[in-house]
Amino acid sequence: MTIRGIRILPPLAIGRLGAAATPMDNYEVVKDQRKPLGYRHLRPAETFDVDISSGRILSTFTPSWVQFKDGPKVRPIAPFLEVWAVVSRDRMEPLTLDVLERSGLTPADLRWRVHVANHKVFRRTGDWHDKVEAFAPEPEPDLRLEVLRGKPKSIPRNKGSDPTFPTFSDHKVHQLLGRSPNFWAGRSIRLGSVQYIDPTKEFPQIRLRFTPAGGYVYGSSWEKPPPGRPDDPNLHEIVYRGRRGGWLGYTEPSSVEGVAKLTAPSTIYAGESIDGNATSKGYLDDECDGIVYAVLNSPSGPFPPAYARIGAGPPAYAPDSFPVRTVADELEQALLGTSVGIDQVSAESAEEIIRRAFETIRLMNTELMNGNPAVGGLAANNMVVQDNRDTGRASEPIMDPSLVNNSSLAHLHEAILASLLSGTAPWFTGVLRRYDQIGDLSDRGRRKMPAFMRGADGRYMTLTRRQIDLIEKVASRNLNGS
Amino acid sequence: MSEPIKARNLSAQLHYRAAGNPPTTLASSAISNCFPGLEFDLRNLWRRLFQGILLHEADNLVVAAEDPGFRKLVGHRLIFVEECPMFIELRGPTKPGGADVLLTGSGNGVAALEWSNAMASVLERFKGTKDKVRCRFTKNPAWNPIGPMESSSAQLMTVRMHLNNLFYTGPDGEQAVINDTVVLPGELTQSLCSPWQNDYRECACYYWAASRPDFVNVEQTGPGKGTGNNWLAKDVEHKEYVVDSAVNQSKLWTYDELFRDWQRRLSFIVGGRDAEE
Repeated sequence: MTIRGIRILPPLAIGRLGAAATPMDNYEVVKDQRKPLGYRHLRPAETFDVDISSGRILSTFTPSWVQFKDGPKVRPIAPFLEVWAVVSRDRMEPLTLDVLERSGLTPADLRWRVHVANHKVFRRTGDWHDKVEAFAPEPEPDLRLEVLRGKPKSIPRNKGSDPTFPTFSDHKVHQLLGRSPNFWAGRSIRLGSVQYIDPTKEFPQIRLRFTPAGGYVYGSSWEKPPPGRPDDPNLHEIVYRGRRGGWLGYTEPSSVEGVAKLTAPSTIYAGESIDGNATSKGYLDDECDGIVYAVLNSPSGPFPPAYARIGAGPPAYAPDSFPVRTVADELEQALLGTSVGIDQVSAESAEEIIRRAFETIRLMNTELMNGNPAVGGLAANNMVVQDNRDTGRASEPIMDPSLVNNSSLAHLHEAILASLLSGTAPWFTGVLRRYDQIGDLSDRGRRKMPAFMRGADGRYMTLTRRQIDLIEKVASRNLNGS
Repeated sequence: MSEPIKARNLSAQLHYRAAGNPPTTLASSAISNCFPGLEFDLRNLWRRLFQGILLHEADNLVVAAEDPGFRKLVGHRLIFVEECPMFIELRGPTKPGGADVLLTGSGNGVAALEWSNAMASVLERFKGTKDKVRCRFTKNPAWNPIGPMESSSAQLMTVRMHLNNLFYTGPDGEQAVINDTVVLPGELTQSLCSPWQNDYRECACYYWAASRPDFVNVEQTGPGKGTGNNWLAKDVEHKEYVVDSAVNQSKLWTYDELFRDWQRRLSFIVGGRDAEE
């Protein structure tokens, strides 16, 4: 078996913030076979016991229950990224000690580098000195500066093996310390850490673990902060030098050009109203996203580098539920197109979309989101109010207020699911909102599905075109009796 | 040990769950109705779809030219890509029961379409080709959104542009990982709230209830009737939904309480109820 190349799986791994010392154990999410739209069950699953000091997996265990917190602290979700070997034109296998050895290689021939960043302040101020970047290992200062400046022609972004970026192949914990030119000297935001897991005979696979940060809030000051905890109890540490950068006291621009470049939605930072302007308190967080590169050397030279994306976001607070439209749906559509191959059409896939829609609706106060006047729905933060505020559309409930309580909607989704699966719901695709119908704020247009939710364009949410195609094909397949 | 995977099966690779990883490490656990998002603001994926220009993540506006040859496009709006419009008219009644009319409350009665669905068929048609895509921009800078009348052919100019590969394309073809030249580290999260806890109070995040719950501990009180708690309510002993309004601020966890103590204050919800933690 010859190694032709390597890849890292998954190509996008999500870490989730938490300050507990022990990362979250593994678990499975299992559908309730007795209830079509019942809650999914969480079942403990085989978990690696990683010895941080050696970087080795000592053993596996299955916990007795799924525990999200350790005392008052949330357990971080710390994903593993596996290196896979492409061994033939269309076959990939996990890269292991054995596979390496058969190619005359050792784990030390696999080298890593990691680059993550937090550009939230930069996105607002537009000042590259506000970029917070972390590397493992840390590059030479000149190269770091070049990355910060974002000179596309001089940054070897597509060359993970570029000799100017240092790499590591040891099994120590590498801290991802986010630094910025506008930080106080010696101050940084810890954006997490990475560790190349030392493969052993018992656990021979080649993998790296990303452990995200604790979920702390960092701050800014006009004067050099003294050692110790900040006076502001919200803050873990003061890092940002208020007089050097513009984040402390920042307000959104009011020029025509400035307004056009604002985030959507805008003014989504911690601030206080001063003279009617949302004025930044200078807070930063320890979320990040970035790239893990792996390079495998061989006697004839390095294979083309492989890379994967990582990110650190908030916990998924309803872990037995999943969003109706996910990042995976977006990426699949961009990769594979708007049409699902007939060999990939399954009732189970369509059922999963309906299930996820219901899992969102079930945890939502649907009477309030519908704009029911009796519960204050015409003054709440919902699509009814957004419609009126953004477009001048009449302010009125979306659906008949008597039809939208959670139990009624549960029955509706169960009926949809049953009829879709039994082939009696060809009508259903007609009530799905298409992407080019988001401007239809007529009574009928607003009642299409998914209901009540806001999409990435700020108007009513739609499924991806690929998701709708899948549902249509399931419905028409049933209609055809095939 | 995991079973082999076909190198061309990009879907299997995208959904691959590495040994030991909980389900919430997967892209299928992250929301994508990004306004602005929770884990990522995936709208940033599309900003460099066209070589040489940088688009706004949420609007059909050219915000920068990475190729100096396209400086003339900065501040212009992308109106059509091939035959696909990048905006849509807003229509509906201005009074309950009224006729559907062009809604100009936001200015010009239009809304930019999200890149993901609007660009999908363009991507399908041109991905992997060397063909240029016919883009029609406003002739003049248009920092403010333009209306349907201003997007007539006479007001537009055509520029043919190459697409970037959104995904890394190696010697063996396209892979399932977002291209590192198209999205730089930090850019998938740059337009999220700062700090993220702010979002839990600031935005209408109820649209992401499967990730950030809203209505929990619900009990049925009669046919078609139920009551429960607001997830952010301080008191969950009483089954009463506290509406996030000015008079109720003291009953909900405040911004400051979330900044300093979100781990203690926020409950995981399993089976619709506060989980044993």
